[in-house]
Amino acid sequence: MTGKRPAEKRPDRTLGPPHDTFWEWCGKGELRLQRCDGCGHLAWPVVRKCECCDARAFTWERVSGRGKVVSWTTFERDYYRGLMPLPYDTILVELEEGPLFVSNPQGFGRQDITPDMPVQVGFIDAGDAAGTFRLPVFERA
Amino acid sequence: MAGYGAITMPPPDRAFSRKASIVGIGETDYGADYQAERKRPEGWEAPTEEKLLTTAFERALADSGLDREDIDGVTTSFTYGGPPAGDVAKMLGVNARFCLANGNIMAGPLPVACAAIAAGKADTIAMVFAVASRSAGRLFGGMTHETGGGGDADGEGGAPASYYYFHPWGWSSQAAHWAMIFAHYQWKYGAREQDLYEVARQVREHARAQASAVMTRELTLDDYLASRYIVRPLHLFDICIVNDGAVCLIVRRADMARGLRHVPVDVAGWSWAKIRRNKLHTMVREQLRPQLQQAGGEALAMAGVSLADIRHFEGYDASSMHLVNQVEGYGFTAPGTGLAFCRDGQMTVGGRIPTNTAGGNLSHAYMQGWSQVAEAVRQLRHEAGQYQVPGIRVSMTSLAQTDQAHPIVYIRGDCA
Repeated sequence: MTGKRPAEKRPDRTLGPPHDTFWEWCGKGELRLQRCDGCGHLAWPVVRKCECCDARAFTWERVSGRGKVVSWTTFERDYYRGLMPLPYDTILVELEEGPLFVSNPQGFGRQDITPDMPVQVGFIDAGDAAGTFRLPVFERA
Repeated sequence: MAGYGAITMPPPDRAFSRKASIVGIGETDYGADYQAERKRPEGWEAPTEEKLLTTAFERALADSGLDREDIDGVTTSFTYGGPPAGDVAKMLGVNARFCLANGNIMAGPLPVACAAIAAGKADTIAMVFAVASRSAGRLFGGMTHETGGGGDADGEGGAPASYYYFHPWGWSSQAAHWAMIFAHYQWKYGAREQDLYEVARQVREHARAQASAVMTRELTLDDYLASRYIVRPLHLFDICIVNDGAVCLIVRRADMARGLRHVPVDVAGWSWAKIRRNKLHTMVREQLRPQLQQAGGEALAMAGVSLADIRHFEGYDASSMHLVNQVEGYGFTAPGTGLAFCRDGQMTVGGRIPTNTAGGNLSHAYMQGWSQVAEAVRQLRHEAGQYQVPGIRVSMTSLAQTDQAHPIVYIRGDCA
C-alpha cells in the first residue's frame, strides 16, 4: 500500500475541527484516536466532548493498528449512486486498544473472513469532494 | 435534515399511569395506496402529508364515536416535514386549545400526549402521524445523512454518528446496522441465513391476514434465499418496506374514556433508554440489551405489571434482526435463542409472545412505529381478527432504533 495506484473515489468524510486532526495523522500513515485527558476513555469516532465524562481535552494517541474482525457486511445496494463499485466488503475491527472500527478489508474479501481473524491497519490513497487523503483499511496480520 | 427530533420524554412515573386512554384509531389504505404509487395510473397524484393525515383523522374520529367538537388537542408528528400543528387543527376543523409539533417516529409522542392530558392541557387529543417517503423517492442510506445535521455544537441531538461517519468506507444505512449485528450474531450463536428467514416468514404470515397490508404474498424459503441481498448477510425480505401513509390515535382523559364505542386502551407505562458511549460495541456485541432491559423494566414497573403479564408484543422492525434483538433484549427469550423461538411458533398466536400480529414494518406498513400502536389497540379491544390473542389484557409496543429503546405498556380499560 504505497499509494502508487490512483486515488480511489470515496464518499465524503466528516471534516472540520477536530475531525481534521484524525485525517492529518492518517496522512502521515498513523492511526491516532482521542484519549480523554479526564477519564482516559479512548474515543472513536471523533468527538468534541468525552462520551464518558464530558471533558473536552484529548491527547491524540497512536494505536497499534492491530485488531481482530468481529463482524462484516457486504454492500450490494448502490447507496452511493455509483461512487463505490458493487459489491464491496466492509469489516468491523475491534482494535487491540478497545474501540470498534468500521473499515474495508484490503487484499482479502468476504470469503476469507473468519471470526476474530487478526488484521493490521494500512493506508490507501483516496479522494473525496474535499481533496485527496489517506484512508485507513485493514490487511491480514 | 428535518426533525431527527429528540423530544422531551415525560418520566416513567406511576402518577401518569392509566391517566389517558386510546379511544380511536385510524389508518390509511397502505396496500392499495402502495399499489397505486407503483402503477401510477392516469390521474394519480403523489399523496401529501395533509391528505393522508386527514383520511387517518376522519377514520379515527369515526372509530371513536366522538364528535369533532370533543377534540380539544392536536399533535402532529412528521419525520420529513409537514405543516404546523395549529394549521393542521384548522384544516381538520378542530377547535384545539392544545397544539403541539410532537416529534415524529413512535419514540415519545404518545407519552408526551398522555402527560399533556394528565397536566390538564387537553382532554382529548388527536395525534396525527404522516409520512410520504416513498413517493418522495427518499433513499435510506448513502448521503441521506451527510452530517449529524440539527445537532448542537457538540454534534449531539442530531443524527447518530453511525448514520454518516463511516461514509469514506462506504458504510451507511439502517440495513447496514442490522446486517453488521446479524453477521456477528451468526458467528456468536451459529445462526444461518435460513434461520433469520423464520422471522420474515412469521411476520409475513401475519400480514397476509390484513386487508391493509402492503406485502401479502406467501414468503417461501426459496423466495427468501433467492432474493437479492441489500447489505449482506441481509436479504431484501429482511428489510422493511417503504410506503406512504398516516396514522391517527385519539387519546382521551381516562375518566372520560369509558362508555364510548370501544373498550378504552389505557396507556399504562413507558420509558426510554439510549446508548451513551461505545455505540458500536453496545449495538453489535450487546445487541442493545442494556437499554432494552433498563427501559423495559421501568415501563413495566410504571404500569404495575410484570413481563409474564405481557401476552402480545409489537416491535419496530426496520429489519427482521431488529425484532430478534427486541424479543431477546426485553427478556421474552434468552440471548441467542430468538431464531429458534420464532421457528417454534413462539412469536405467533398460541406461542409465548405473539409479535407484530398485523405484519409489522416488514410486511404491513412502514409507519415508523405508529401502526404497531394501532395493532396493540385492536388486540386489546379483542378485534384483531385471525391473529387475535385470546383474552389478552396487557400488550407492549416498542420502538427501538440502533441506539435507543422506547417501550410502551397498555392495559385493556376494563381490567383492574
